[in-house]
Amino acid sequence: MTEPHANPEDLDLYALGALDGEEKKTLEVHLRACPHCQQELAAARQRTALIGLSAAPAAPRPQVKLALMDKVRAEKRAGTQSSVAQIIPSQIRKKRWGLRFSFGFGLATALLAFATYDFAKQDLDRGKKLQQLQAQVSQDAAALQAMGQVTGAPDSAQITLLQQPNEPPGQAHMLYNARMGLGVYSGQIAPAPSGKSYQLWLVPSSGAPVDAGLVNANQQNGAVVVRLTPGLAPKAFAVTLEPLGGRPQPTGPMVLVGAAS
Amino acid sequence: MTATVQPVPDSALMDRMRTGDEAALSTLYDRYSAMLFGMLMRILRDQQAAEEVLQDLFLQLWRNAGQFDPKRGSLPAWLMVMGRNRAISRLRGRRDREVLEEEEGDYANTFASGQNIEDETMRAELARNVSAAIGQLPVEQRQALELAYFEGMTQSEIASKTGIPVGTVKTRVRTAMQTLRSILG
Repeated sequence: MTEPHANPEDLDLYALGALDGEEKKTLEVHLRACPHCQQELAAARQRTALIGLSAAPAAPRPQVKLALMDKVRAEKRAGTQSSVAQIIPSQIRKKRWGLRFSFGFGLATALLAFATYDFAKQDLDRGKKLQQLQAQVSQDAAALQAMGQVTGAPDSAQITLLQQPNEPPGQAHMLYNARMGLGVYSGQIAPAPSGKSYQLWLVPSSGAPVDAGLVNANQQNGAVVVRLTPGLAPKAFAVTLEPLGGRPQPTGPMVLVGAAS
Repeated sequence: MTATVQPVPDSALMDRMRTGDEAALSTLYDRYSAMLFGMLMRILRDQQAAEEVLQDLFLQLWRNAGQFDPKRGSLPAWLMVMGRNRAISRLRGRRDREVLEEEEGDYANTFASGQNIEDETMRAELARNVSAAIGQLPVEQRQALELAYFEGMTQSEIASKTGIPVGTVKTRVRTAMQTLRSILG
């Protein structure tokens, strides 16, 4: 026997967030298995979302926007200071790398320590945010550590990857040490089209390009550590546009290219 | 002859935000802040609280621009749903709402594709139509609907507040929603 569909009254109330108790639980169980009622619920949500428009529009005070934009700028600045990407200037000067690395790592550590102390005082829901922050800081710390290793080595090289004709605008930097097989990539490209990914390649002097991993369009505020086979000398680095998830060998257009010498 | 200036689509502004363009956020704020703030004020009845929620909402949009998927719903729908959830959570201490709905994407398809409210004129017209439709509802139906939407009350709470059976609350909400559907199409 087929289970009857949900009561339309319950769907409306559920869409409004007003259904409660056993009725809510029963409906949620039913919804999981009933495409028809899922569609009905979607329609109910369309109607309920409109109710908010019946409130008369009201302009918030101008200070709200000013404060918002100040916060955004402050976050951008903070991101710039803690970001490995920003530590790599276009005309890099090696003697400053160590100092910047120390500053960045110190900042990341201090951030984590502060966040740990602060969040420990908050309720448990903040734990999730703390984990995210820890993961981000760990990622940054790994990038900073790699950066330290690469910048400290006299045989490291910086490669600037430039936009190719008829390709989306962008630029990136690769700091790479072939002996260690270790590098740090940062940069920014126009967002990839839906269903596509940007993929980084080491192009050797001979042989096929070597997959160096996927990169986000915006790696300006979070560099990627690249680990490849030590001893593999690059002729160039390139970023190509590939189907989502990347490919073992490049199939799409080269968006950015930078010669290693 | 009058030239019509088409607004920059939300999707293009979101793309620009992903690259760190503050001006794109500024444009989206100018476009939707009054609509949102009106709703937040109606729920919270506290200017400072409404402003805080509004600011947090746009800050979240800025921080998570890369995660917003336009295929799951329109930007104003996302802003309205999240704004309402946050305001009601703040009003009633029901934090479960925002967590659940943000994670499960309850905003999906909340504004039909034909309702292009990126354009200010169309946005104002839609708001007028909705207000008129709700204004035509019998008082008891409108009350049930507004207690649920703007005060975040459950059917049991509405029944308790108004002294009517839960079954009657259901019927009133249902009838109100059917009327809205017939008026708004």
